Amino acid sequence: MKQQWMIITIAAAAAGTLAAQVTPEAIVKSPGAEWLTYHGDYAATRHSPLTQITPANARSMVAKWVFHVEGAKKLEGSPIVHGGLMYISNTNALYALDARSGRKVWYYRAAGAQGTRVNRGVAILGDNVYFATADCHLIALNRMTGNLVFDTEFALFAGGYTTSIAPLAIRNGILVGVAGGGSGQRGFVASIHSTTGKENWRFWTVPGKGEPGWETWGGFPAEMGGAPTWTTGSYDPALNLIYWPTGNPWPDFYGGRRPGDNLYSDSIVALDADTGKLKWYFQFTPHDVWDWDANENPVLIDAVFRGKPRKLLMQANRNGFYYILDRVTGEYLHAKPFVKKLDWTTGLDDKGRPKIVESKIPTPAGTKVCPSVRGASNWMSPSYNPATRLFYVVTLEQCDIIVASAKEPVPASGFRGTGNEGIPTEPGKFYLRALDVLTGDIKWEYPMPGPGIMWAGTVSTAGGVVFSGDDDGNLVAVDARTGKDLWHFSTGQSLFASPVTYMVDGKQYVTIATASDIFTFGLFE
Amino acid sequence: MRFFAALLLLFFFAPLAHPQARRLPTDQTAIDAGRQIYLGSCSGCHGATGEGSQGPSLLSGRASRLSNQALFSAIKNGLPGTTMPNFPMADDKVASVTAFVRSLTTPAIANRAPGDAARGEALFFGAARCAGCHRIRGKGGHPGPDLSDMGVERTLHQLREAIVKPGERIAEGFRAASATLTNGTRVTGVAKNHNNYSVQILDKSGRLHLLRREDWTALSVEDRSIMPPLADATQADDLVAFLSRQSLRPYAAAGASQ
Repeated sequence: MKQQWMIITIAAAAAGTLAAQVTPEAIVKSPGAEWLTYHGDYAATRHSPLTQITPANARSMVAKWVFHVEGAKKLEGSPIVHGGLMYISNTNALYALDARSGRKVWYYRAAGAQGTRVNRGVAILGDNVYFATADCHLIALNRMTGNLVFDTEFALFAGGYTTSIAPLAIRNGILVGVAGGGSGQRGFVASIHSTTGKENWRFWTVPGKGEPGWETWGGFPAEMGGAPTWTTGSYDPALNLIYWPTGNPWPDFYGGRRPGDNLYSDSIVALDADTGKLKWYFQFTPHDVWDWDANENPVLIDAVFRGKPRKLLMQANRNGFYYILDRVTGEYLHAKPFVKKLDWTTGLDDKGRPKIVESKIPTPAGTKVCPSVRGASNWMSPSYNPATRLFYVVTLEQCDIIVASAKEPVPASGFRGTGNEGIPTEPGKFYLRALDVLTGDIKWEYPMPGPGIMWAGTVSTAGGVVFSGDDDGNLVAVDARTGKDLWHFSTGQSLFASPVTYMVDGKQYVTIATASDIFTFGLFE
Repeated sequence: MRFFAALLLLFFFAPLAHPQARRLPTDQTAIDAGRQIYLGSCSGCHGATGEGSQGPSLLSGRASRLSNQALFSAIKNGLPGTTMPNFPMADDKVASVTAFVRSLTTPAIANRAPGDAARGEALFFGAARCAGCHRIRGKGGHPGPDLSDMGVERTLHQLREAIVKPGERIAEGFRAASATLTNGTRVTGVAKNHNNYSVQILDKSGRLHLLRREDWTALSVEDRSIMPPLADATQADDLVAFLSRQSLRPYAAAGASQ
């Protein structure tokens, strides 16, 4: 079925005019030839069915085009590709490029938009593309012309809100989230109607006074709670459930004013896609004082687990554990560390709750903790190949010194309960690791030497190649089964984005955003 | 001694820092008064709308980049070594002229346009047929530029020029283009981009055609806009008034970020 759909899409693109509208059904089938959501697929596996590039021919990949994004300093988006066009975003700006040549077709700048936060990408549905400005406006543009369809403000920049979110299109809703874990705003996920721009629903990730979960904050004001929603969630169309990851409670490093678990920070919340009502939640790091957002991608995988077919949710969490949950019920099933530098817990109980090492709670004098604040992994995208049954994740082996302060917290003041510093003699080291999807065992790893500053993630392909950015500015291709390196290209820039792959006119391309450019590769011909 | 020198300097230069130059009048009456003085005393050299004739343009170049203080001073005291004379008027009058000249380069929305915005809106979506090619907040046609934010992005002068002389400045991505494809089909519209190897044409129905060199047998991308000029001055005023109000965000917010 997927194959047939791909052929139709390829034929339409070859005609040189833009294919039909993007239907919700097409997004359910993505990725095929096209890449229709930030993750490529609703399950966030970032696994493409494309097979043209293989371990046998990857070494003959060459650069096809480069597009420079004027003024860009830190591109962090994954492009969307539809109808021969590629959509990429930068802070308060969106570009449509010819996906075969990199030629700019149109450009939209949100004049007057405030804020300078990075932007992670675009959503597409119907005849519209959507992106969020740093000052929390969802902007809908005609996908062919870039003309404005609507501009909806979903949070107040003046109230301290800002966002970097790549929106997610689900049925008739465009889902958005906000930053704020480090500055004391109250997190939420909102669904905005795809054609009217009106809000369908909103789920607050910090319960209001008297609501279930409010008692886990010890009276700390919900408006300052944090639990931001700054990365894109995943979606199960059959269950009609959205899985949205949430970030840390505020202030990040001092928990004395917020005694309790601080729901729903550092959690996955499962929400009804039509109403935004909470179906279940699972909290990875209760009462977090290390800034370990759970904003890593929630990856949805169906598999036989311990002899029983189950709908699962996997996450390689910033706190250092690879988790497996039942995504129907939220039941905790399994977890295993995926980094060696991990010392804040002696292990998890049978409900997945960590047993905290008291000496690892930050103090005013400073406390060494592993993993670091950046985490064992972070928002860089993992991927999963159902043929190898391996989960590919970029990991960081690093510890930090974290300093806590009981100072009175003031939202949007830059105060985070104090902060963290690296240990000069123990620089962070990145590894691309392949985990057994059902056990979390490390099957192979690919070291990524460099300055320890990357945020690049991965994309997996049915051709048996995993593409990832590395810490030295290379796009690398490795064998999905063995981790053997097949090809690399030095972009000469630092990487803060995850690659995607797509096909136009029967040719497979791989694209990654560097600090200031969009690089696209394909096979030599 | 040093103290006295400083005092002397302060005394000497204080009159040059005109307090009124720092805070120019913003009320329309004062700006209109400035316009009247400008038309009588300045337009002979700088043109009726600041476009320049014997004197330089006030819409671009050095004059447009002067600070309020420097502009005020240039009007009041003249510019030695140039043909710009001094205009020994009362400071409030100089401030009015300065405010009017500034209005020539500030976003249209910050100024009062002479036309009738309601009539302009009716024209835009009706008789003037602007909405056949342009859109405002999702309403209108293709393939012209979206005008939803024009009050912020253009000055009154630029809006008027774009309406009465559309051929004089073609917005990048809106050149008239036509291509004959290898299958004989003809595609016409505007070239969003083009070079020797590809062209991206947006047609009047809003369809985008992504063409590569091998896709066409003939291609024409012209240095002209497909927009017809509007001859009726009153209608142009009304359209300018309507377009000058188009802003996606409150103007103050837009100004704050600049």
